[in-house]
Amino acid sequence: MKKIYLNHTTLTFFPSLAIIPVFIAFLRESHSGGFEIVSDFFIAIIYPSFNHVVIESAWRGLQVTLCTALLSWIFSTSIGIMLAVISSNVFWKAFDIDESVGVFIRRCLAIPRAIHELVWGLLLQAFLGLSPLIAILAISIPYTAIVSRVLSDQFDSISQDNLIAIKQTGSRPLSTFITASINKMIPIIINYGGYRLECSLRSATLLGVFGLGGIGTELQLSFQSLEFREMWTSFWMLGLLMLGLENIIALFRNKFLSKATLSWKSLRNLIITLFVIFIFSLTWLRVLDINLFTDISWHHITIPSVIDFWQASLELEWIRLITGTLLLTFLSAGIAIGIPPITMMLVPTRLGIKLQSCLWTFLRLIPAPISAMILLLCSSPSIAVAALALGIHNLGVMGRLLKEGIDQQNNNLFNAIQASGANSNSTWLYAKLTVQSRSYLAYAAYRMDVLLRETAVVGLVGGVGLGWQLQESLSSFYWAQVILVIITFISMTIIGETISDRFSRYLLNSKSPIGIALKP
Amino acid sequence: MSKELNIPVRYIPVTSYPATVNAFRTKSLDLVWFGGLTGVQARLQTKGSKVIAQRDIDERFHSVFIANTSSNLTRIKSIEGLRVLKGKRFTFGSESSTSGRLMPQYYLQKAGVKTTDFKGRVPGFSGSHDATIALVQSGSYQAGVLNEKVWESNLRRGRINPSKVIVIWKTPKYHDYHWLAQGNLDKRFGKGFTEKLKNTLLGFNKKVPNQRKILNLFQANRFIPSNSSNYNNIERIGRQLKKIR
Repeated sequence: MKKIYLNHTTLTFFPSLAIIPVFIAFLRESHSGGFEIVSDFFIAIIYPSFNHVVIESAWRGLQVTLCTALLSWIFSTSIGIMLAVISSNVFWKAFDIDESVGVFIRRCLAIPRAIHELVWGLLLQAFLGLSPLIAILAISIPYTAIVSRVLSDQFDSISQDNLIAIKQTGSRPLSTFITASINKMIPIIINYGGYRLECSLRSATLLGVFGLGGIGTELQLSFQSLEFREMWTSFWMLGLLMLGLENIIALFRNKFLSKATLSWKSLRNLIITLFVIFIFSLTWLRVLDINLFTDISWHHITIPSVIDFWQASLELEWIRLITGTLLLTFLSAGIAIGIPPITMMLVPTRLGIKLQSCLWTFLRLIPAPISAMILLLCSSPSIAVAALALGIHNLGVMGRLLKEGIDQQNNNLFNAIQASGANSNSTWLYAKLTVQSRSYLAYAAYRMDVLLRETAVVGLVGGVGLGWQLQESLSSFYWAQVILVIITFISMTIIGETISDRFSRYLLNSKSPIGIALKP
Repeated sequence: MSKELNIPVRYIPVTSYPATVNAFRTKSLDLVWFGGLTGVQARLQTKGSKVIAQRDIDERFHSVFIANTSSNLTRIKSIEGLRVLKGKRFTFGSESSTSGRLMPQYYLQKAGVKTTDFKGRVPGFSGSHDATIALVQSGSYQAGVLNEKVWESNLRRGRINPSKVIVIWKTPKYHDYHWLAQGNLDKRFGKGFTEKLKNTLLGFNKKVPNQRKILNLFQANRFIPSNSSNYNNIERIGRQLKKIR
């Protein structure tokens, strides 16, 4: 009897199984009818509009989007770090308090996380009116919860032995916690925090629809009228900004982390820098004639009655909606998580990785509704088109995370395996991916959350799942139904999180690899 | 407008349908150019708000059903003919669009076609009228429906290939877009302000260069008076199709 062992590395490849059915379904329905428009889209990449009105308005939009992104980034990472501390088990352990407090806080934070920032925007706007502050809040609320989940998991991966050892020296709980975690956590916070800025930029772009303006509004208007050349003017600007920020952050990160030990002085400098960016963004928005603090007042909606809820629940086709959402989430997650390790293993050369990295930046840059449109011009509507659109956008994100992890790894193992004469593909697999697989899988679990929420943005392919239903209920102002669908999203997120927590604990605790017995 | 009304006027682009309705309900916007359905949704949610004007073309608005020529769909003579769309891949425009969704869905329902009758049991929502044309022209969707004006302007600009996509049916006329103003403008800006605002809009004419530019962007010759009763039908249909609760 042979055994296939499931360890972290094999699990990394497991999701790629989704690629097969998606590609078969996509290719079977593909056609050449959209060739002209799709080629217009690609030609426009090298031939964007240089009309001065287009450039001027994209430039203004870019500044608004950047300030929105910077402010939401600072809010969400700083509050997220604090919440990460109090939702980690290790924090409560340091105080000798039952760790279920941490678990409880973590589950509560699934609520803001389960709702897409676009939906947060609409909900906040329904209560608070149209204000530029809405966009910042709409990004900050779910992002705070995401940051806190990711970092609390990292806090919990701190060795318990260390904690106990420090505690036995008689130190106070809070200092025990800080001493045990600070050296491990600062590099993680710096790395992850840097990455969140790009996420904020992408969301700020998407939220251009709330009267704040921004490059998202420009993109949406030119996309709606299929003015691809104008659209690419905005995309180029946004892409260059993304690359610029990525490089500045990498530079800063390397400088900050190159010191052998972290001093309080460098931490203080970091906080001062963030504060300066905060004030600078606020002032810059004022210069652009955008005042964040105007026109905010509370507006009620009629609270639905029990009968309304009952009626609303009867109108929904629950089974179809939930299965559609799950299928779309799993298929797109398979593509997003499974492809980067495979392509990087197949072409692990320096040039190969560089090219892949460029492609991933391109895929991240194009929002899912736009890739859905382009794919839909090549193939008839099916869940495969929706899954592919969501999958390739998020593939760009997963690819970046994997590459960043690998870049920061030291090369000792790699050199050792290479010296043994192994070929470049297996060297990459054993020396690079194996080391990264655990954290990559953790990021994959968070990405599933994101994908579950993002199913909301591909309605174009034919209303699939709960995400589309939420848009439909919101645009009908059917609050009872909106609340029911949101509760379902929250429940699915909590269930998903509980399963992934249990699974990772199971993997951590299993001394031997999990074996699946197969008959020869 | 700022010059005519003697007050500062600020243009705020809001590109999401429900966000615009919310912005009007929460009194963040004073005057909005609404589609038929969203205008009714906003007015019902905002006490005192008034329909003040529409374009000359809005009292006789139409949607056109279009089809890819390879789908073998041909011109339909009466509303019952829409039944041929059963089992086809079909796309609307935006969820809240009057000409790209609400009125077409109403006529489909009248012909006995439910949205679950399309191939895949759900229609698509292309997101915009231009996207509907592109998707039907490509063949990904066999048929779709959109605002007649957008169809005409795409025809004029040569963006439609008549060998690939044709009009199969034009809906009867209905009232669509309109200007909706808050009910408290007189109180805030002085007695008779709403009337002055209305007259300013109605006074736009193509002889004045700036106003011609605006009217051309609106694809209109002029604005004409309108009132809420013009939209009773949209309200009834909106309720029937559950887009108004």
